Amino acid sequence: MITESYKPKLLWLQSITCNGNTHSFLNHPNLFSILSHFEIMHHPVLEGAYTMDDVIKGTVACDVLIVEGSFTETKFLKAGVEVSSLMKIYADKAKHIISAGTCATFGGIFKQKDPENISGFCFDLEEKTSRYVQYASKLISLPGCPVHPKWLSYVLLMIANNTKINIDNLHRPVELYGYTVHTGCTRNEYFEWKIDAKNFGLKEGCLFYEQGCQGPYTRGSCNKILWNDTSSKTRVGTPCFGCTEPNYPQESLFRTKTNMGIPAKMPLGIPRRAYLILTGVAKSFKIKRFSEKLLEYDK
Amino acid sequence: MKKLQIRQLIEKIEGEAELDFTFNDGLIEDVKINFGFYRGIEEILKGKDARDALVITPRVCGICNHAHLLAAVRAIENGYENAGLKVNLSSKANDIREFTLACELIQNHVKWFYMTILPQLEAYIYQKSDENYAIKATYFASNITKALAIFAGQWPHSSYAVPGGVTCDPTHLDVMQAKSLIDESITFFEQVMTGLSLESYLNIDSVSDLHKIQGDLGKVLYKMGSHGMAKMGQSHDKFIVFGDCILSKPGKSIVTTVSNVDIRYVEEALQSGTVAKAVKYKNKLYEVGPLSRGMVAKTPIIKSFHKRYKDSLLTRVFARMHEVALLLDYNKKLLDNLQLDEPSCILDSDVGFYEFEGVGVVEAARGSLIHKTTVKCGVITNYDIITPTQWNLSHGTKDEQGVAIEAMIGSQSMEEATFIFRTFDVCSVCTTQ
Repeated sequence: MITESYKPKLLWLQSITCNGNTHSFLNHPNLFSILSHFEIMHHPVLEGAYTMDDVIKGTVACDVLIVEGSFTETKFLKAGVEVSSLMKIYADKAKHIISAGTCATFGGIFKQKDPENISGFCFDLEEKTSRYVQYASKLISLPGCPVHPKWLSYVLLMIANNTKINIDNLHRPVELYGYTVHTGCTRNEYFEWKIDAKNFGLKEGCLFYEQGCQGPYTRGSCNKILWNDTSSKTRVGTPCFGCTEPNYPQESLFRTKTNMGIPAKMPLGIPRRAYLILTGVAKSFKIKRFSEKLLEYDK
Repeated sequence: MKKLQIRQLIEKIEGEAELDFTFNDGLIEDVKINFGFYRGIEEILKGKDARDALVITPRVCGICNHAHLLAAVRAIENGYENAGLKVNLSSKANDIREFTLACELIQNHVKWFYMTILPQLEAYIYQKSDENYAIKATYFASNITKALAIFAGQWPHSSYAVPGGVTCDPTHLDVMQAKSLIDESITFFEQVMTGLSLESYLNIDSVSDLHKIQGDLGKVLYKMGSHGMAKMGQSHDKFIVFGDCILSKPGKSIVTTVSNVDIRYVEEALQSGTVAKAVKYKNKLYEVGPLSRGMVAKTPIIKSFHKRYKDSLLTRVFARMHEVALLLDYNKKLLDNLQLDEPSCILDSDVGFYEFEGVGVVEAARGSLIHKTTVKCGVITNYDIITPTQWNLSHGTKDEQGVAIEAMIGSQSMEEATFIFRTFDVCSVCTTQ
């Protein structure tokens, strides 16, 4: 829909990134109707009103700033200009700042190259950076590696509609990050009855016990709002790697760390004692259906 | 003789690069390609579990992440084989991997066509239209990545390929949905891109039949031809392919002679003034990518183009778009023949090998992608990634200019040169992983 009223000016600026957030957002099936609420000043791949050379001059107007990529104060330049100084110019102008992806939010994978100097824009893992105070009032965090296109569109449309977005202490919208990735996983029955997957490539079994799945303690609505409108990691038998979390990526991502055979990390907010009691009860029953194939085909 | 040096920032190439053009008497005589920032994925991997590469390396690149995943899993499987464990993937796992990788190539090529080539071409020939090409690109790409996600869970940044197979165990319902998405993609190719049925398109084997191609691809070919661009952008006419896939076997092509290659002769070297490393084969530079695959595979229509236009930008652009047709056709066949009753993964999660070295090769959207992993005590001690764009954008040796640079030399303007540059489908993030 094309309207003539004032449109917020949108600027998408990249720092240290793989472009995954950019390409993830391009998958949104309603991309252009969402963008029609904004005037695109500059975008990494879509056509905008200004070139990167203009953006680098610092003169482009900006109401909504989307930041992609992790962040360093020095030595990351575009055409000889420090990206940190560019970010400052546009973050100061913007009415809303969206950190799109885990790199921009917490530092992400690229932080591991130089942990002392690379961080997210307003957070360094869970710690607030020096920029936080200045930008806190307009900051929305959208962690995810990459950002989920629907999550980003939700925030953009809430901004376009002038609707307040409720956020948590890390500035994540509660409607998106109030859930865990476990919520809506199609393997939930196996989790409830503590049936582990015997290997990769099977429909049966939960990936939390052996294969490293972090879904039960990772915030995100991946299994409520599906990826590519279709699926999710856990739905295709891949463990959740906790890619929305401040400490992502952890080590040994395909193996569950255990203590005495019990997963070392508990589902979000569950006391270990409660977990052990429930596990004991669940494991004391042998449910025939869970020892069989989920689907039987005629041979 | 008047020399002039100009630096220009090139954007929308999956990041940016700076090109230093040297003009001599109105013609470009040299170009330096500079990339700014090294992200250090290879170093980040050191000390991590061997399989963590399946999660970390896709983050080299937002647009060819799936190729990195497959190169990483092949490197581990090759490492197991070198350590004495034969890895015979089920045809199901193999076909699903082939399918998802092909989906990624297709989305890449179509996005590049609509978001880079069409708008840049129109700007270059001063025929800017108001058409929203990006909406075509994203409609098509979101369709084909959805087909990919049915098996891989998501795109970008899936990690569904694991040593021994894939994590998914699809049903007929999944396959039907994927088929429907491929059919939709084929319909787009037929009705929007070429104005021909896929079958009729694939029957074209000579440039004398090109007039049959209508649609957006026909428009691009016509505009390039009618603006004197058909022979622009020629390079060294040397091509190389290391991956083994439906599009080509490994090999190298020099002018028209095809011969074998051995990956052991690939050398990487630091270059001054940029964080991108150069790559050579037996101390010689080669072009990689769709045109190389077409030349090494001796694809009839690519050979016909080459015969008339050499390795020009027209040939290069066409070779890339031709792969869209080949891969859509291939993907349809893969789904028709998928053996769902076979195992998805033939290896246990822990196979008991903690010391190995392996190489994984994939024909990615932009050409041959190589991963090398060295694992000791279960952790990565060394990881080496050689990306396609490194081949095409190397600075060159004392004997020969870099591949993309050679193609730009002789251009009369920066606009001409940067358009030639973009026909290589340059990827900044891959070059500076």
